[in-house]
Amino acid sequence: MAITVRLDDLLHARRMTLTELAARVDITLANLSILKTGKAKAIRFSTLEAICAALECQPGDLLGFDADPPAGQ
Amino acid sequence: MTRTSARALAVARPIIQVLLVLNLLYAAGITLLLVSSFFRPDWPWVPLGYDMHAADPALPLGLRAIMVIGLVGIAIVHVILRRLLAIVGTVRGGNPFISDNVGRLQAIAWGVLGIEALRLMVAAISRAVSTATQPVHMGSGFSFAPWLSVLLLFVLAGVFTQGARMRDDLEGTV
Repeated sequence: MAITVRLDDLLHARRMTLTELAARVDITLANLSILKTGKAKAIRFSTLEAICAALECQPGDLLGFDADPPAGQ
Repeated sequence: MTRTSARALAVARPIIQVLLVLNLLYAAGITLLLVSSFFRPDWPWVPLGYDMHAADPALPLGLRAIMVIGLVGIAIVHVILRRLLAIVGTVRGGNPFISDNVGRLQAIAWGVLGIEALRLMVAAISRAVSTATQPVHMGSGFSFAPWLSVLLLFVLAGVFTQGARMRDDLEGTV
């Protein structure tokens, strides 16, 4: 997908695990994992808001647009 | 889901299964009557209360035709009940808004339409073989409710089409 999710980088920068984030934002680990691996088709504003609040970032820090995605995506 | 809906859903499956068995027994009974009508004179018309001397000579033929129509109707009811059972299964599983259910609802709608057409055929045959001395009353005149049901079922299938589409959109949403 041309929209990239940089959750992994943000978590690494904040020394936080996906499990810890799941507990803070009250979203299942399975759903966060779907988001992290770029398999999500859509993201709710409420999810985005919760993640941004927990990671103290802007939506633009979490999401990016790749105009030239790798083949097969 | 309301308590009434939950109860209705809980009893729907066994009721449909019982209806499926009764429908098959009904088919066996009609088949038996139809086949036996070729081997025993005046059977089963006389036991059914028809006076064959006063009746139209075409009465046995008409009644046999009605039996065959009945068997076709039973086959349609079987398909309707099987589809309904499958839909109830998806509702119990918590995921009714799938494209399979759209096809099932459409099949049920066509089935109800077919049964209504068969009922009109039975009424027409009944009128054709009915005489003043031996009236035959089978099938009835036009009824609004079944046609309304067909319309509602097609609308419901449309609702499920939209629901399935929305469900697909929601899948993968975090």
